Amino acid sequence: MIRVESLTKVFRRPRTFPGPLGALRTLVTRRYDERVAVDDVSFEIPEGEVVGYLGPNGAGKSTTVKMLTGILTPTSGLVEVGGRVPWRDRSANARSVGVVFGQRSQLWWDLPLIESLRLVGALYDVPAAHFTGSLRRMCDLLGLDDFLDTPVRQLSLGQRMRGDLAAAMLYDPPILYLDEPTVGLDVLAKQAVREFIVDTNRAGRTTVVLTTHDLADVEALCRRIILIDKGRVLYDGGIDALVTAYAPPRRLVVHLADDETRTFDIAGGASVPELIGRVAAENTIRDLSIEEPDLESVIKQIYAESTR
Amino acid sequence: MIRPLAGMARVGLRFQLAYRSDVIMTVLALIAQVFLLRMVWTSVYGGAGQARGLTLEALLAYLSLANLQAFATTPIIPLIAHFRIRTGMVFFDLSRPTGYLPQMAAFQAGHTLGGLLMLAPAVPVVLLVGTITPTAQPLGYAATLTLGYVISVMMSLLICVIGFWTLETGAISLLYRLISQFFAGTMVPLSFFPGALGVLAEALPFKYMGYVPAAIYVGHLSGGQVVQAMIVEVSWIAGLAVLLWAVWRRAHRRVVINGG
Ligand SMILES: Nc1ncnc2c1ncn2[C@@H]1O[C@H](COP(=O)(O)OP(=O)(O)OP(=O)(O)O)[C@@H](O)[C@H]1O
Ligand SMILES: [Mg+2]
Repeated sequence: MIRVESLTKVFRRPRTFPGPLGALRTLVTRRYDERVAVDDVSFEIPEGEVVGYLGPNGAGKSTTVKMLTGILTPTSGLVEVGGRVPWRDRSANARSVGVVFGQRSQLWWDLPLIESLRLVGALYDVPAAHFTGSLRRMCDLLGLDDFLDTPVRQLSLGQRMRGDLAAAMLYDPPILYLDEPTVGLDVLAKQAVREFIVDTNRAGRTTVVLTTHDLADVEALCRRIILIDKGRVLYDGGIDALVTAYAPPRRLVVHLADDETRTFDIAGGASVPELIGRVAAENTIRDLSIEEPDLESVIKQIYAESTR
Repeated sequence: MIRPLAGMARVGLRFQLAYRSDVIMTVLALIAQVFLLRMVWTSVYGGAGQARGLTLEALLAYLSLANLQAFATTPIIPLIAHFRIRTGMVFFDLSRPTGYLPQMAAFQAGHTLGGLLMLAPAVPVVLLVGTITPTAQPLGYAATLTLGYVISVMMSLLICVIGFWTLETGAISLLYRLISQFFAGTMVPLSFFPGALGVLAEALPFKYMGYVPAAIYVGHLSGGQVVQAMIVEVSWIAGLAVLLWAVWRRAHRRVVINGG
């Protein structure tokens, strides 16, 4: 469905100069600052998969999404979505993708939500009957009925995000790019967004590329993740495999009688009861727990290693 | 192709209606401007019967019409495009199956229609203050004004596109507004412009948004001049279409979307 090969994007902007006449110099300069935002990225995503596209701030995630939608032209490399090169065939590509950017909205700020949804229906030429059905489904899934007629500027962040999700899916695109769709949402709203994603993926075999900093989203939705940093792919594969491969050891945490807390790494293959026995022989244990490695600790470790 | 554009025009119309209070201010400003111009020009004329072939009556009617036209057709899209490019919201305009320029043009058309609807109540007042009587050349007036409007929209589309290079069209569109209103002849009819300024004003396309239709309405331009104006207007439209197409093709390739 989506094929990316050696994708690279270098941003080139006129050098900015300090000082009072700096702006003027910037205007006429031929010197450019270059920034490699995406650096030789390759991956393939089959139809119907939900993939987490993860990385620290500034890793190049949004830039990749912008190239996948065809809005940004790659500096080099190849992108193919459904057999088309998105930036060469923007119009056809546009019909097959829906996009949500958590940080900005496609809804018209001053108009009631329904107007923006109607506009989407018109722009993608969704037949009237189909539109009504689609809108009904969105309203039911996302609970839009209460604020369909409210101007978007009066919506809460969570309500607006639900409106944006509806706008992105009204014309049933087979591919959905979600760039931080849960940013700033409360627990329940996040849950609603996740359920919506699961539902669309299941109902229409929609392919989803999900960017998020909330690893709970990833754990709930994705079996595969692509991890990038500084524009390069660090890991591409299953979450389970990642945790197994990179997992820090499990740890035994014991609280001792004198309010002291001590932790012991459990080496691979070591017997836990034996370790507890050994610790208990030398101390008075008040309480104990075992910390399992989770995705967050794994990813923290990978980010840290890549920065080094 | 029709439905997407109709949808966009509808949003433009609704957008205009959402800013009702702005329109009330606009109407008040329009009436005030026509009133002030009337005072100034009446005093300039003193007892003189006519100047440069315009009677005071015709001049006042001309100024009222030219201002009514200018207020009703001032383009909004450079402001909209500027905001959307700056915030990165233009991403969504570019991700539609319909082209960016047709979308913007349709938005502008809807917005203008909304403006006309809301200006309607002010029209009798302006006609009265301007002592405007029915025209002898309704067809010539309507045709040159419509073509002039098309030119105006194309020029503002050009400014929208320039925003993809400069990422900043605030100052440009302000300057454009100033220049276009002046050279449209909303304060002073073009036939009063001296020497080189007159030549410049004649050469620029802004006169088709104000001076030319209004002068046709009051009978200052007539017959062969009307036909000639329409031919030049159509040539401007053709030229601008080619220019827009060429500039847009280049802009398209250098799009950056702010924010992530
Ligand atoms: N328009 C631009 N001009 C110049 N540099 C840019 C531009 N957009 C992004 N960048 C740079 O490209 C890099 C990648 O940015 P991008 O927005 O893709 O990051 P991201 O992975 O989405 O980060 P975040 O998690 O913070 O959203 C950053 O270093 C950023 O400064
Ligand atoms: Mg981002």
